[in-house]
Amino acid sequence: MYLFVEQAMNGLQYSALLFLLSAGLTLIFGIMNVVNLAHGSFYMVGAFCAASAVAITGSFGVAMLAAIVGAGAYGLVVERLIISRLYHRDHLDQVLATLGIIFFTNALVTLVFGRSPPFVAIPPLFSGSVQIMPGLGYPVMRLAFIGAGVVVAVGLWLLISKTRIGMLVRAGADDAETVEALGVNIRRLFMLVFTLGALLCGFAGVMAAPLLAVEIGMGEKVLITTFVVIVVGGVGSVRGALLGSVLVGMTDSFGRAYIPIWMSQLLPPEYSDSVSSSLVSASIYILMAIVLLVKPRGLIPAQR
Amino acid sequence: MTDARQQPGAAPKLEIRHLHKSFGALAATQDVNITVQAGELHALIGPNGAGKTTLISQISGELMPDSGHILLDGHDITRLPAFKRASVGLARSFQISQLYNDFTVEDNVAMAVQAQSSKRFSLWSAARKDPSLREPAREALERVGLADRANLRVSELAHGQKRQLELAIALSLNASVLLLDEPMAGLGAEESRRMKDILLGLKGQYAILLVEHDMDIVFALADRITVLVYGKPIFTGTPEEVRSNAAVRDAYLGREE
Amino acid sequence: MTRKNLVVTLIFAILLVLPIVANVSHNSFLVNMGTQFVIYALAAISLDLVLGYGAMVSFGHAAFFGIGGYVVAIVAFHMGQGETIMGWAGSESALAIWPLAMLVAAFVGLVMGFLSLRTSGVQFIMITLAFAQMLYFVLVGLVIYGGDDGLSITSRNILPGINLDDPGIFYYVCLALMTLWVWICRRIVNSPFGMALRGFQQNERRNVNLGYAPLRYKLTAFVISAAGTGLAGALWANYALYASPDMAAWLKSGTLMAMIVLGGMGTIYGSILGAAVYLGLEQALTAWTENWMLFLGPVLILVVLFSKRGLFGWLAGRNSHD
Repeated sequence: MYLFVEQAMNGLQYSALLFLLSAGLTLIFGIMNVVNLAHGSFYMVGAFCAASAVAITGSFGVAMLAAIVGAGAYGLVVERLIISRLYHRDHLDQVLATLGIIFFTNALVTLVFGRSPPFVAIPPLFSGSVQIMPGLGYPVMRLAFIGAGVVVAVGLWLLISKTRIGMLVRAGADDAETVEALGVNIRRLFMLVFTLGALLCGFAGVMAAPLLAVEIGMGEKVLITTFVVIVVGGVGSVRGALLGSVLVGMTDSFGRAYIPIWMSQLLPPEYSDSVSSSLVSASIYILMAIVLLVKPRGLIPAQR
Repeated sequence: MTDARQQPGAAPKLEIRHLHKSFGALAATQDVNITVQAGELHALIGPNGAGKTTLISQISGELMPDSGHILLDGHDITRLPAFKRASVGLARSFQISQLYNDFTVEDNVAMAVQAQSSKRFSLWSAARKDPSLREPAREALERVGLADRANLRVSELAHGQKRQLELAIALSLNASVLLLDEPMAGLGAEESRRMKDILLGLKGQYAILLVEHDMDIVFALADRITVLVYGKPIFTGTPEEVRSNAAVRDAYLGREE
Repeated sequence: MTRKNLVVTLIFAILLVLPIVANVSHNSFLVNMGTQFVIYALAAISLDLVLGYGAMVSFGHAAFFGIGGYVVAIVAFHMGQGETIMGWAGSESALAIWPLAMLVAAFVGLVMGFLSLRTSGVQFIMITLAFAQMLYFVLVGLVIYGGDDGLSITSRNILPGINLDDPGIFYYVCLALMTLWVWICRRIVNSPFGMALRGFQQNERRNVNLGYAPLRYKLTAFVISAAGTGLAGALWANYALYASPDMAAWLKSGTLMAMIVLGGMGTIYGSILGAAVYLGLEQALTAWTENWMLFLGPVLILVVLFSKRGLFGWLAGRNSHD
């Protein structure tokens, strides 16, 4: 029972991370029709900025600011210089150009911040554990992450459904050409959406820094999973990103916990380790392949 | 050039029965019934948004109707996948020319010739040097008057020439039924005259369903005309009957006494 | 001779004399580099067949590269242990193993292609990526075959009468195979099949309208492409005497794509140039700075944004494409 609850909580925390990353990515893909492989790079930039800020000032609050501003600013520059030229290009061009951004950003971060992964301690406010169930303590930092995910989800929902900008975003996801024809400065909208995505990535980076390894290439590790989330959840919709994040996060988390147990019961020991480790890693891809073959546009895509 | 006109009373070449198609709340095709005899040129007219292209797309297989039947030579092809319709003798030309922009004019027509040829899966032979593919292509280009432009790339063609090419491709499919969607779209006076001559030359050899806005052409070429308004056929008859029908005049032709 | 033919002749002339130049300048490293170029070119050419001519953005082709490598490594491993592979005693002969690698890659390509081609656009990119990732993780999980660390191979496969242990000879064998594959692919793209495939890339709607069956053409091209990439993987395993899961990593697929675009997409020959430029740049810049990606990233971006015709297109002029 404890294993189940604990894994559910871990799954939720991973889902929170995935949501922060995928919400922006799904909007970027849904509204601007841009496949942005560089999304993970903003996450990495955020994490590294946070780590440096903590090393210099010791304050997590400053680190949070540094991460968000750093990732957001980098995202803005990338959008102005490169992404804005990709809006009318096909997906292959976008994949290749953003691949180039990944390569470049990895090298740039190495140059600026150095190769050795910086350590970010859990800030005192979030340290320790809390009893979420009699007999089960759970780290506050992870709860804070889940909380952050919920706050962002609510905030995005308010932004998209209750504000004028949000209305433009929804309209843009539906039909960008018409929005443009109505006189809205679509370029400015795209720039805003892209930068918002980068900001969310920066936020994800600072929240993840105390929990996960901050290293070069951390963006790529989570990038593919983020794409899995938006493909499963449905492209262009933040609700899809939420659903996808939870599904993928939970699949991963429960898979990690239970597949080895099941495999050791089903298979002889010399095979069960290999099979379970492969199955665990592949579980989310199997999920995605199944969803794609049954519902090619994802579970709750934006209308198009 | 055989005359394909049938005996009166013979089964129609193409038959559309009770076809329905809606997009959400929009009923684009409402209980459409049309027959086209072999050798007949049947025109489809109606105001913009009447659902003419939607109807053509259902006959060519790009869209699936909600209900109803499409019969070719009596065979039900309603659910036949789009890529199989050419092999049963259906050729469709598009309102906006659909061409291979990186290929030459002759390549474009050769693609149509090749599609019906047994060589179409050959991985080895040189396609551009195969006379069985290139000769018919050149002949089709002669028929529409594009022979001297055979080696130009599509991007170098004027709009009118693209429409000619569009027609040449449809004519190279060895089809028995032609679905022509506004072949005159965007043509100037000279080009229109030439296209009219080509279409006149096709009369009697195919079952043709022609969508057009140019009323002179329609009345000059059509054996029968169906008038479509808001997805519904409001009248079918000979050009004289259509011209004198009050409902048609109100809905479409206007009171242009 | 047209400009394009001149460039092509030059490329092959340089490749042909490379070991001689190396001998004369006592630079055996040049032969190693050349071998790497040629093997990667073989993989890139195979991917160009579907990417540049069929508009199938397969992010999973590294899977076939990995499969090719692991077929060689696994057979060698079991033979080294004195075991049979499901009843088969194995073989050291390249004439058995290399076609086997191609066959296994083609089969996986058939399954992967059949499932992936049910989608299109970005979903196709993602599902091919997913399948490749699945394979990658399977390879990492196969602890008996080294898992994450990969599998070493004691010696190269054997060709009758030819000493593949000699770097120069091995280079020429790889060059011969690559040249043969180039010839085959060139014939394919100019055949009726190839024209139909390119028709899907230029105007799918029209192609379907004419009666070309999408799955038949795309899947066939995909399988052929997988076989070629598998051969490249087998050659690589022979070259490096090593196979690792990285051969199937998604970044490897990205690398192949980058080579194709740098060299010129949809030209076949461009992939040769692209592989050489990519690997050459990597060598040259790594000697100078560890952060060579600082330059390759922007180069790739600039090529994509401003010069899609790539290096081959620039050299061979307007008619570099078919």
